[in-house]
Amino acid sequence: MLRLVLRGLATRKLRSALTAVAILLGVTMISGTFVLTDQIDRAFVQIFEQGNAQIDVVVKDRPPFEDQQTEVYLDADVVDRVRQVDGVALAEPFLQVQGYLVADGEQLVSQGGAPNFVFSSLPQAMNPYTPIAGRLPEASGEVAVAKEIAEQGGLEVGQAAQLATQAGAQDVSVVGILQFGDGTTSLGGSTSVIAPLGDVQAWWSLDGKASFVYAKSADGVSEDELADRVRTALDDPGLIVQTAAEDSAEQASELNALIGRLIRFALLGFAGVAVLVGAFIIFNTFSITVAQRTREFAMLRTIGASRRQILGTVVGEAFVIALAATLVGLVLGLGFAWGLNRVFELVGFGLPATGLRMPWQTVVVCLVVGIGVTVLAAIGPALRATRIAPVSALREGAVPPRGRLARLTPVIGVLIGVLGGAALVAGLTQDIATTQRLAILAAGAIAVFIGVAVLSRYIVRPVVHAAAPPITAVAGGVGRIAAENAGRNPARTAVTAAALMIGIGLVVFVTIFVGGLKESFTGAIDDSLESELIVTAQGFGSPLPAAVLPAVRAVEGVQVASPVGGTPVQIGQGTFALIGVDPADIDQVYSFDWESGDDALIGQLGADGAVVEANVASDLGVGVGDTVDVVSINGASATFAVRGLYADEQFLNGVTVTQEALKPLLQSNATGINTLFVKIAEGADATQVQAGVEAALAPFPTAQVQSNAEIKAQIESGVNQLLVIFYALLALSVIISLFGIVNTLVLSIFERTREIGMLRAVGTTRRQLRRMIRWESVITSIIGGVLGVLIGILFGWVTAQGLEAEGIVFILPVGTLLLFLALSIVAGVVAAILPARRAAKLDVLEALQYE
Amino acid sequence: MSSTEAAAPAAEHRAGDVVAARDLTKVYGEGESEVRALDGVTISFPHGQLAAVMGPSGSGKSTLMHILAGLDQPTSGSVVVDGTELAGLNDQKLTLLRREKIGFVFQFFNLLPMLTAQENIQLPLRIAGAAPDPEWERTLIDAIGLGDRLTHRPSELSGGQQQRVAVARALLSRPAVVFGDEPTGNLDSKTGAEVLELLRRAVDEFGQTVIMVTHDASAASIADRVVFLRDGKVVRDSGRMSASEILDTIKTLE
Repeated sequence: MLRLVLRGLATRKLRSALTAVAILLGVTMISGTFVLTDQIDRAFVQIFEQGNAQIDVVVKDRPPFEDQQTEVYLDADVVDRVRQVDGVALAEPFLQVQGYLVADGEQLVSQGGAPNFVFSSLPQAMNPYTPIAGRLPEASGEVAVAKEIAEQGGLEVGQAAQLATQAGAQDVSVVGILQFGDGTTSLGGSTSVIAPLGDVQAWWSLDGKASFVYAKSADGVSEDELADRVRTALDDPGLIVQTAAEDSAEQASELNALIGRLIRFALLGFAGVAVLVGAFIIFNTFSITVAQRTREFAMLRTIGASRRQILGTVVGEAFVIALAATLVGLVLGLGFAWGLNRVFELVGFGLPATGLRMPWQTVVVCLVVGIGVTVLAAIGPALRATRIAPVSALREGAVPPRGRLARLTPVIGVLIGVLGGAALVAGLTQDIATTQRLAILAAGAIAVFIGVAVLSRYIVRPVVHAAAPPITAVAGGVGRIAAENAGRNPARTAVTAAALMIGIGLVVFVTIFVGGLKESFTGAIDDSLESELIVTAQGFGSPLPAAVLPAVRAVEGVQVASPVGGTPVQIGQGTFALIGVDPADIDQVYSFDWESGDDALIGQLGADGAVVEANVASDLGVGVGDTVDVVSINGASATFAVRGLYADEQFLNGVTVTQEALKPLLQSNATGINTLFVKIAEGADATQVQAGVEAALAPFPTAQVQSNAEIKAQIESGVNQLLVIFYALLALSVIISLFGIVNTLVLSIFERTREIGMLRAVGTTRRQLRRMIRWESVITSIIGGVLGVLIGILFGWVTAQGLEAEGIVFILPVGTLLLFLALSIVAGVVAAILPARRAAKLDVLEALQYE
Repeated sequence: MSSTEAAAPAAEHRAGDVVAARDLTKVYGEGESEVRALDGVTISFPHGQLAAVMGPSGSGKSTLMHILAGLDQPTSGSVVVDGTELAGLNDQKLTLLRREKIGFVFQFFNLLPMLTAQENIQLPLRIAGAAPDPEWERTLIDAIGLGDRLTHRPSELSGGQQQRVAVARALLSRPAVVFGDEPTGNLDSKTGAEVLELLRRAVDEFGQTVIMVTHDASAASIADRVVFLRDGKVVRDSGRMSASEILDTIKTLE
C-alpha cells in the first residue's frame, strides 16, 4: 500500500505540491517563531550572564509588592555591611537609571523603543564594560559610552557632550569608549552611558541610593556560600540576596516574559491562523480527490482491498505530504526568523541577536502540528473513501456516498457556529484569567469560522444565481458558464471560499478593533482635555524634573500648567495607580466625567480624600463613603476616603488624590510630575506658545512638549504601524487560501477536461476560457471576501461590546472594507492565473478524448 | 448510384465543395516507430451531402475528421473549409473558424451538466456573443421533439434525448458543415436511429452538410455517400449503400 501511496503522489505532482504548500507555510511560521524567540531568549540570558560575569553576589531591595515597571532602590550604605562579610573581596553599590547623551545637539537614543541606560561606574574588576579607547570615568563630569553610541554619534575620547538627566542637561566629557562583555553581544538597540556613582545619584535625585550592591568573593569561596554568608550577615527581610547566576537568570526570564513570550504568543497566534486555513484546504483537496478517484478506490475494493487499506491509502498520502511539507517548513522557518530579524532591524526595533538555532523542541512541535493537522483534516475524506462500494468501479460518474450525518449538516453548522458565538461572548464578558480568556476566544472564533464554512455551502447557489446575470453582461457567454461552474459543487466552493474568509475576516477584525482602540485614545483627548499642550518625559514612566513646572508656568501665553503624576500602589491584592493632581487648577485643563460628585470635590480633597475611576472602584468594590488602604512601592502606606467616582480609562485611570497627598508615597527620585497639561491663554497664538514652552524646556532634554493634534498623530502612526504588522502576518494566511483556490480550480479543471475540450471545439477561444476560469475564481473569492468582511464586522462588534468598559468603540471603516473586498477580487484573479493557463493550454483533441 | 474506386484523382477544389482536402498526410513519431495515420488523402464534400466515413480501428478515419474540422493539424497537405484554407491559421483563427463554420456532434454528447437543454443548445452562440434566430431555434426544437423538456438538465434526459439536444446545438448557428464523431456510438439502436433520422432531416430539409465518422453500418447506410479508409488511405468512395453492402465492404477491408 505504501508503494501505491508514493506512486499516487508522484503521478499527481502539482496537486500534491499545492496541498503541501497549504500546510508548509503554517509550519514555516511556527518553526520561525520558535527559532526567533529562542534566539531572543538566549540573547537576553547572554546579556545578563555577561553583565554579571565579574560578580558573585547581588543584594537588592525587596519592594512590598511586585511591579515590573517600577525601579526600586536600596540604601547604598548597605555596601559597608557587605564589605564586612568574611569572604567578600570587593563590594560596590551600583545604580542604573534612564538617560542619554546629547552630542552636537543630537540625542543619542535607541531607535525602536529599547531603553536608554545610564549606569554608575564600577571598578574594572567588577565591570562588564571594558574600555577599547580611553578609560572608565572617575571624576565627576566624566562619562564613558558603549561603542554602539560612539559610532552612532561619531564620539571620540575627549569630546564634550551633555547628559540628559532628571536634573536637566549636564555638561560632561567623554573619557572612554567601552565594549560590553566580549564585544560580540548585541544589546538589541539599547544605549548605555557609564558615569560615576555620585553624579548619577545627584542628577537623578537618588542621593545615598543604589539599585544593587554587588559583591565579589575572595578566592575559594563559592557564589552560593558567599550569598549565604551575606544573607546571614545582613539579616534584613527588606533585602534580597542572590547569587549572580540567580540574578541573571531572573532578569533574563523577566525580560523574556515581557518580550520573547509576547512575540512568541503573537506570532504563534498568527501561525495558528495559517494552520487553520491550511487545514481547510487540505480537507477540501482530499474531499475533491477522493471524489475524483471513486472508480480507482472501487476498483481496489473489487480486487480485494479492505476498507482499512483504503483508509490507509488516503491517510498515508496525507501523512507523506505532511511529512515532506513539515520538513521543508522547518528549514524555511530559519529563513522566516532571519527575515523577521531584518524587518525588526529595518523598523529600528533591533532585537538582541545571537546565532539562529533550531531547538529540537521546535522540530517536535512542528512535526506534531504539521502531520497532526494534515492527517486530521484528511480523515473525513478518507472515511468517505472507505464507504465507496466496489460496484462503483463499473459506473461512470459515481461519487462516494454521503455520510450518515450529511442530512444533519445544516443543524451541525448552526450548532457549531452558535457554540462558537457563545464562547466569544463568554470569553469577553466572564471574569477569568487572560490566558483562559484568550483560549476561549480563540476556540470560539475557530468554531464560528467552521460553522460559517459549513453553512456557507447553502449560500453558494443563491449567490451564483444572483451573480450570473451581471457577470454574463461583463464577460459574455462564458461568464454564465463560470457562474454555473462555481455553483456546481457548493460544498467545494464554500470551503475554498471559507479559507479566504478566515484571513479576510481577521484582517477586517483587527482593522475595526485597532481603529476602536485608536478612537478610545484620541476620543479621550477630545473629551477629557481642556488643555492644548502636553509636556511629558522621554523614557518609559520617567518623571519630569520638578523645575520643569515653574519654567513652563513662566512662559508667556501659558494660562495654566497643571501637573499630574503617579506611583503604583497596592490596594488589597491588586496593583493600581495612585494619581496626584493639583486641586488648584486641574479643573481648568481636565474635565472629569463624574458618575458621582462634581468639580467642587477636587478642591475639598485635602490630605486624605480621593476620587476613584469608576471601573477601578468596581474592581476594588468601593463606593463613595468607603475608604481605601494603599501601600506604596516605597513601603509607605496611607488611607484615603472615597469622595467621588468618575469615568476615564486613559488619563486618570486609578485612585486620584492631591499632589500633596501623593508626595509621601513616592519613590525617593520621583517628583510626582509625569505630565503637565498646559492650557493656552485666550487670544494667545498656539504655535508661538508651543515654541515658547519648547524654549523653556531646552535645559531639560528629557522633557518634550506636544500639541493635542501631535499626540493624536503620534497615536495614529503607532496604530498604523501595528496594523501594518498585523496585515503582514495575516497576509500569509490569505496567501495560503489563494493556494487553496488554485488547488480547487486545478482539480475542477482536471475533472472537466472533456467539457473544456467541447467548449474549445465549438468555438471558445483560449482567451475566453481563461476568462471563464478567472470569473469562477473571482466568484469564489468574492464569496470568501464578503463572508470575511461580515464575520470580521461581527467579531469587531462583539469585541467592542465586550470591552465597552475599557473605552473601546465600534467604528465601521467603510472605505477600508470596500478596499478589502476589492483586494479579495484581485486575489481571485491572481489565483486563477496558473489554472487558467493550464486549461487554455489543453490540447482540444486530447481533452475531448479524456475519460 | 455511381461508385468511384480508391485513389481518386487529385481533383481541384470545386466551387460547390464545403470541405475539400488535398494530399493530406499525418505522421506520428519518427524513424522506425513512425506511424502514418493519413497517407495522402484527397477528398472533397459538396454542399448538402450527408457523408459517412468508415474504416477499421487505426484506419485514420478519426484523424481525417479531426483535421477537416480544424481540431488537428496535418503533417502536410491542405484543407479548405467553406472557402477558407486552414493551413497557417493560428489557434485563435481556427477557433473562430470552428465557431462560425463548424458544428460538432460528439459520441459522449458533451453537454454541460449545469445548463438546461435550451441553454446547451444556445451555448455556442452565447460563447460567440450572438443571439439565436428565434424562428430557426423553434424549428430546430420542434425537429428534436423536446419542446417540453427545454428546462431540463442533461442528467434528467435520456441518452437519445441528450444527443438530440447536441444535434440542435450543432445546427443552431447554421454552420457550413456539421461533423459527427460516432454520434450513435453511445446509444442503443432505437435511440441511435432517431438521432440519425434527425441528421438526415438536417440535410434534406435544412440543406445542411454533415460528415460523420462511424463504424456502425446501419448509421452509414443513411448517408448519401460512404467513404472507406484503410491504413490512412481512401480505399473506397461510394454513393449510398445498404447496411449489408457496407458490412461486406468492411469485411474485405479487414
